[in-house]
Amino acid sequence: MNDQIPLVDIEQQLANQSPFRIMKHALESHDRIAISFSGAEDVALVDMASRIRPDVEVFSLDTGRLHPETYQFIETVRNHYKINIDIISPDGDAVRQLVREKGLYSFYQDTHKECCGIRKITPLRNKLLEVDAWITGQRKDQSPGTRSDIPVIQDDQGFARAGETLTKYNPLANWSSEEVWAYIRAYEVPYNPLHDRGFISIGCEPCTRPVGPGQHEREGRWWWEEDTKKECGLHASNINP
Amino acid sequence: MNITLVKKILADGSPCRKCADVLHKLEQGGYLAQIDQIVEAIETDPDSRGMQLAKQYEVDRAPFFLVEQDDGSTEVYTVYLKFQMEVLDA
Repeated sequence: MNDQIPLVDIEQQLANQSPFRIMKHALESHDRIAISFSGAEDVALVDMASRIRPDVEVFSLDTGRLHPETYQFIETVRNHYKINIDIISPDGDAVRQLVREKGLYSFYQDTHKECCGIRKITPLRNKLLEVDAWITGQRKDQSPGTRSDIPVIQDDQGFARAGETLTKYNPLANWSSEEVWAYIRAYEVPYNPLHDRGFISIGCEPCTRPVGPGQHEREGRWWWEEDTKKECGLHASNINP
Repeated sequence: MNITLVKKILADGSPCRKCADVLHKLEQGGYLAQIDQIVEAIETDPDSRGMQLAKQYEVDRAPFFLVEQDDGSTEVYTVYLKFQMEVLDA
């Protein structure tokens, strides 16, 4: 990427562009770039990227606590797009220590932060050391409290290598859930079967539940905690200091 | 390439909500200049140009796009996202 062009200028240029154009810009600007795929409706990103760069790098954080349907879906995506998906596991010793000290469901008592830290954030941090840019499926409408200001491109200082830059792209930032699903249907993109059972936002099995009519999608995540804390910390803006 | 947008005009003279939404997206994304003509399908007038085109291309929803290629072939798009990705952003 041309370091001479300030990111804020590129953001202005891309802000009103379609997700496909943002994706194109991202893939054409970086060789070492990867898509973070959660196994939910962010499959739309994989579909878009595969039309531009069929061998695009995709990774998924396998926390060890995902739904069986999500594991099966990740495999479906791997086969459908004929891509390698880097399945990233947490550090076994760290998980073992957490479970030994606090059991398998400590997050219901002392919040999800510690568990997410071990199973998601540390593995993500290690993965992002390998790339110069990453692509996420974050959208403004996912969480009015924590994601309403998401730009389509940002300088991810939270996960960058020391002294270097890491660019983060959020091509779907300006799309609504409705638009993502219109895309999935228009292109007959495979999707996680949990969506047909009322799950909108999908994370780990113990921390995700279906939502009812009129409920916001994030109400199905960490429902025993305050709304303002419903982020796992995968994004620099919500990492605890 | 020649692009036609067919938008529906309701009985009260207003454009259909979806058509207005698509026009807004075209404008916001800076794509409007790529549309060669906008034709109206007037709900109360089966002889209006847009209604005739809908009949000719067997389209039963609005808005829709007709993309005429240089070789004379015409592609019909009824899903805006597909049109945007395959034509405008191609």
